[in-house]
Amino acid sequence: MSAPDPVIRVEGVSRWFGSVVAVSDVSFEIGPGITGLLGPNGAGKTTLLRMMTGLAGVSDGSVTMFGQPVRDNPALYRRVGVMSEHETVYTFMRGRDFVRMMAKIRRVPNVDDAVERAIAQVDLVEAAEKRMGTYSRGMRQRMRLAATIVHDPEVLILDEPLNGADPRQRVHFQNLLRRLAAEGRTIIISSHILEEVEQLAETVLLIINGKLAASGGFRAIRAALDQRPYHVRVLASDPRRLAGEVVQLPSVDAVNVDPDGGLVVLSNNVRDLQVELPRLAQKASIGLRRVEPLDDSLESVFGYLVER
Amino acid sequence: MGPLFRLTLNQLTGRWRIVIMTVLASLPVLFSALVVRGSRAPFVDEFEVIVISTMLAGSIAPLIIVAIASVAFGNEVDDRTLANLTLSPLPRWQIVLPKMLGALAVSGPFILGSALATGFVAYNRDATAVLAVATGIGVGLMMYTSFFVWLGLVTKQAIGVGLLYIVLWEGFFSGYVEGIRYFSIRRYATALMHGIDPRRFAGEVHVELAATSLVAVGVCIVFFVLSTRRLRTMDVP
Repeated sequence: MSAPDPVIRVEGVSRWFGSVVAVSDVSFEIGPGITGLLGPNGAGKTTLLRMMTGLAGVSDGSVTMFGQPVRDNPALYRRVGVMSEHETVYTFMRGRDFVRMMAKIRRVPNVDDAVERAIAQVDLVEAAEKRMGTYSRGMRQRMRLAATIVHDPEVLILDEPLNGADPRQRVHFQNLLRRLAAEGRTIIISSHILEEVEQLAETVLLIINGKLAASGGFRAIRAALDQRPYHVRVLASDPRRLAGEVVQLPSVDAVNVDPDGGLVVLSNNVRDLQVELPRLAQKASIGLRRVEPLDDSLESVFGYLVER
Repeated sequence: MGPLFRLTLNQLTGRWRIVIMTVLASLPVLFSALVVRGSRAPFVDEFEVIVISTMLAGSIAPLIIVAIASVAFGNEVDDRTLANLTLSPLPRWQIVLPKMLGALAVSGPFILGSALATGFVAYNRDATAVLAVATGIGVGLMMYTSFFVWLGLVTKQAIGVGLLYIVLWEGFFSGYVEGIRYFSIRRYATALMHGIDPRRFAGEVHVELAATSLVAVGVCIVFFVLSTRRLRTMDVP
């Protein structure tokens, strides 16, 4: 049985502005579910998203969605919802009118129902009659999301959608995205709030300096970074003596002793360390009180890749 | 196209724009009234060159239109709202057309009102003369609008470039360099007035009425097509 065709295929895409290379030879495929696009500011995420939506052309390579080119292909936008990072709203418009206009220009069959459903999904029914110029940033983002999903798109591309949202709105937003993804949609979300992407995304694309640094599931990415020192914090009954023993292990590159007495072990092979450390402590009669990974979060992986 | 037309009307009808358009549009009318009632009224051909051609067709009309038409897309580009429109399944011409029509609908009443009132005052209610002036200015309005809408898509300095065009090309060169009349909207507008009412601009050499009409339609179509093409190929901010 062959694998299902990807919804979005990015093949050898590059984009340069004069002598500045914003995106360099990036290739990946995206299928249904939530995919997180991560990278530091200036990494090329937004340029890449703009090329994936057809808003910007590629200098080289190709981007297809449902097997069709995304550039100069208006018919494709019936199936796609895009929310850019900029607060692209008409401040003189009422929220409901904005969503209605977006529904009409996307030729939604039953406009009124679709508009009310979309506004209800972002929990902004009470504010829908107010002008968008009076909205908070979070409210504008949510109303923009309503306009993005009003035509029930199969693909959602959201660039920094959580900007300006308060914690309650973030939770609501995350739940909404999970629900939309569970219905079979393809969702690409870019964010600098790494914990949220980690919580939301099944697949992660890491973009650094315009290149795809890593892709796959969070743990797969983590496993792929086997050359990277892995930080483990160890609390022990005799930390200084343990440090002297641990540093001799082949799986350990360095050991630091914190002022509070904890050890921070930099391991090049955490699986070996997990086996060797308890044996070593037992042999040296040193009690291990706590062993915890310091960098098993997306942020730490991301930080490492950025620094590399 | 209705939602985009209404959107454009909303975007282009700010209070200050209305005030400025009203002031500008009333200038030729007031000037005509003063000239006609003055003790030393100019000859008709002098009046037509100064007021109808230079002032109305070459300055007031393009100034109003550049302020309106160039921002029909220009504001969307500056505010980064253009993606709202281009990320829709509408064929690009269905985005350009309501923008052009919206710009025409906003600036048209002021310019046509000014042309009608100026003709009415200057030609002592001569219906043919008033019709000729209004038609010539109206066609010029469409040509200027299509040009300035396109300009708003190709440069962020559309108003500045448009003003340079009005002052240098329509104001200076088209008045002094004979061959320019084939490339001047103002000169086509006056040629159209002459074609409808041969008494108007009688002392000048004009392009034939049929050719003038064809060129006017052609200019509108060319800039409409160029705007559509630009919208298809540009990087939308």
